[in-house]
Amino acid sequence: MANTGIGAAVARKEDGRFLHGRGQFVGDIKLAGMLDAAFVRSPVAHGRIVSIDVPEQFHEAVFTAKDLTGLKTIRANSGLKGFKSSEQPPLASNKVRLVGELLAVCVGGNRALAEDVVDEVFANIEELEPVTDMLSARAPDVPLVHEEWGDNVFLETNVDTGVEAALASAPVKISRRLRMSRQCMAPLEGRGVVAEWNHRTQQLVVHTATQIPHIVRTGLAECLGLDESAVRVTAPDVGGGFGYKAILLPEELVVCWLAIHLHRPVRWLEDRREALTASANAREHYYDITLCADEEGKFLALDAKVTVDAGAYSSYPFTACLEATQVASILPGPYNFPAYRCQTWSVATNKCPILPYRGVARAGVCYALESMVDLVARKINKEPHDVRLENLITPEQMPFDNIVNKHFDSGDYPECLKRAAAAIDVEGVRKRQVLGEPDGRLVGLGMGIFNEQAAHGTAVYSAWGIPMIPGYEQAFVRFTPDGGLEVRVGIQCHGQGSETTLAQVAHEILGLDIESIKIVHGDTELSPYSTGTWGSRVMVMSGGAVATACEKLCERIQLIGAHLLQAELEDTQVEDGYVKAPSGQISLIDVARTWYHRPQDLPADVDRQGLEVTAGYKLRRDDGTFSYAAHAAVLAVDPHFGTVEIIKYVVVEDGGVLINPMIVDGQILGGAAQGIGTALYEEMPFDENGQPLFSTLADYVLPGATEVPNIHIEHMETPSPYSLFGQKGIGEGGAIGSVAAVTNAVNDALCRVGAEVCETPMTPRRILTAIQDAKSQRESVGT
Amino acid sequence: MTQVNIGLRVNGKKVNETIESRQSLADFLRETLLLTGTHLGCEHGVCGACTVWINGAPSRSCITLAASCDDAEVISIEGFKDDPQMEKLRSAFISEHALQCGYCTPGMLITAYDIVHRLPDADDNRLRLELAGNLCRCTGYKGIVCALRRVLGPPSENG
Repeated sequence: MANTGIGAAVARKEDGRFLHGRGQFVGDIKLAGMLDAAFVRSPVAHGRIVSIDVPEQFHEAVFTAKDLTGLKTIRANSGLKGFKSSEQPPLASNKVRLVGELLAVCVGGNRALAEDVVDEVFANIEELEPVTDMLSARAPDVPLVHEEWGDNVFLETNVDTGVEAALASAPVKISRRLRMSRQCMAPLEGRGVVAEWNHRTQQLVVHTATQIPHIVRTGLAECLGLDESAVRVTAPDVGGGFGYKAILLPEELVVCWLAIHLHRPVRWLEDRREALTASANAREHYYDITLCADEEGKFLALDAKVTVDAGAYSSYPFTACLEATQVASILPGPYNFPAYRCQTWSVATNKCPILPYRGVARAGVCYALESMVDLVARKINKEPHDVRLENLITPEQMPFDNIVNKHFDSGDYPECLKRAAAAIDVEGVRKRQVLGEPDGRLVGLGMGIFNEQAAHGTAVYSAWGIPMIPGYEQAFVRFTPDGGLEVRVGIQCHGQGSETTLAQVAHEILGLDIESIKIVHGDTELSPYSTGTWGSRVMVMSGGAVATACEKLCERIQLIGAHLLQAELEDTQVEDGYVKAPSGQISLIDVARTWYHRPQDLPADVDRQGLEVTAGYKLRRDDGTFSYAAHAAVLAVDPHFGTVEIIKYVVVEDGGVLINPMIVDGQILGGAAQGIGTALYEEMPFDENGQPLFSTLADYVLPGATEVPNIHIEHMETPSPYSLFGQKGIGEGGAIGSVAAVTNAVNDALCRVGAEVCETPMTPRRILTAIQDAKSQRESVGT
Repeated sequence: MTQVNIGLRVNGKKVNETIESRQSLADFLRETLLLTGTHLGCEHGVCGACTVWINGAPSRSCITLAASCDDAEVISIEGFKDDPQMEKLRSAFISEHALQCGYCTPGMLITAYDIVHRLPDADDNRLRLELAGNLCRCTGYKGIVCALRRVLGPPSENG
């Protein structure tokens, strides 16, 4: 039998249904008597609702806040000191705080008919001055998003180990103001929910496109005032998440309320316009940052003031402050800093709330820090990767507690960087730059190195005090009477291939054919409680739980097998789907049949819990695992059009022991494509009235096959000392290092004409403006 | 609401229905015929997830009115079930890990089917250009390009 255990590039078990168009997404579910819902949304960013006028003939098809009896507002509080709480109403009743906020819901026999009713509802709103800029939002005498707060700050945090001495005396001191624009996460499938009340089981059954079914269930029960046992949440096939589907939606609450009160199944499917203009956004960071170094490029201190535009409400369960607090805890990156100060503000504005998007704060942090490293290198006339090497934490220092007490588990960061520098051929690119391009384009080289904390657990999240704190991850495994294995997990797979990789883990322990191992997920009724799929945690946490449960099951099987083989327990072992003893072997299928169908053959001391096990698992340390990678890009900037073509792209990644290298590569490639989008294309702008300016995918540009290069990946494999097989979470890294590599490459190209862009995405307009500014500056100096 | 009668062939079968004149072909396939393999990503003709085969060419079913398909021959992903060329593409998509969440996949496969028929000598740059009308948020496209390459074989010298 070919190896299908840990380390094998097994083809995915889930591919077949998708390739035949037989996946089942929320939008594919059609229930008898189902109504479609469509929402009336606020056309203004900030205002007071005077009235919502519904024509007489539509009264039975339209519901406003006053109809929604018994529904609580969504509150997602942080336990951090000074956090200000927001209350997000399912339907707005008094104030609206963003364009697209829900005002009323309309139902119809299909979506078009429901949308027809939406057009008949008129919302009379008295407009208030909106808060649209996160920097001026903190000024005195500005309008307030939440009046009762007294200001527009969800949370302010401070870390300071003492940087004044370095700031006063450092030979090299570089400061910049860097901005990462607001983005949409844009999975290809939007959100969607179908809810019905099941009279037989007395349960609300909710099919929803989510990454976190159990958390959504907890949130729904709380806001609807139902027992948790009266709510069942299923996540069927989910068409991409990236963080966008890790939220309790006001739309979910409203649709559930309708299903309960109308006694009909109700469906809502988000359209792209809603996704882009009215649902959660991501990122929007502003860094006022200073990096101090000596003449050789050894870092002396890092000092930053960071603002994150968190939008109008704190989203459940991750809150409005996860992003900025994470900035403060990871800004020093994979480097050794002797001094560090970071002040952060999570600011409320009249925009969509933010959610943690793949990489969360790390994409912005890596962009900001690595931009500064390149600037230091340029200042002291060194290769940027040499400056990085000077400061990276070395393998001899591992495990390493950094300046903010992050505990890095293992790895060889300098080797990773060196391999990336060799693969991208730094010397070759420098020669090419000296020669110049025949077409006049400017060639640039950029790198970005980072580490990615993944699968971090209880201690980390309880310190943040958010509504969702991961504890022991559980798995339930059961032998079926025919010798198959059912594995039930509370995580949710939305493209990561967990139906395959978790089967590989079970195979590793029990030796069963992976075709006879079935992973059951995405249903609160069928799986143990879990915080779900986020934070690159599935392979480490759920993988650990599956292995632990299989090991316990293995012990029980071995006991029965030894009895059937009339062998001593210590002389037996479970291998390749058999219990083996010197006297012979018996298949696990026969063991299963014995328990279910021939109990007369069982040993007297058999474990009476049978062939079902639930086991819990936690990492040896709550700090999680730290995968890391270096990304390197070579690109050409057209100085006349401002366009960018990526010529070569290399990733050197260390994800510890890889469970399925093919799937790992897929995660890196997909993440890198998203990071290229962040660096060059993707932005959700708002005007001064708080109106979102992009409403189609023709405006909001997602990278296509012509924008994403043929990325070359190399692997290192340093096991984590803390995970079960040495595996590390790698789901997000692709989206982290790519932003820094590409933006640094653009600025490396532009520095040849004295220009610099300090904002993502580095669009043609921004690049041309930077070139023009540099030219004007040269001319004014010349005159 | 204006109603119209249409008669067309969908996946080889004759279909006669009375529909709302404003209904898109995508909604007709998904909601009326329950062929949910055709996916909606943007509903404004950019992302390509809804791509189906209409009269021998890949088309956006989200911006095609069902009423305009009277007498047409429409094939959705379900209709390629036994097609040998599509089977080769499916197998290559598995080998090259050309799908993750699977949402863009039906549309991507139909575009890929068109490419292998129309441009058997395409080099990788041309493949990428041809794929530019189908967005995938998961794979970074490398697996998809490699899958097409696997089906087409190495690029010819003149390609």
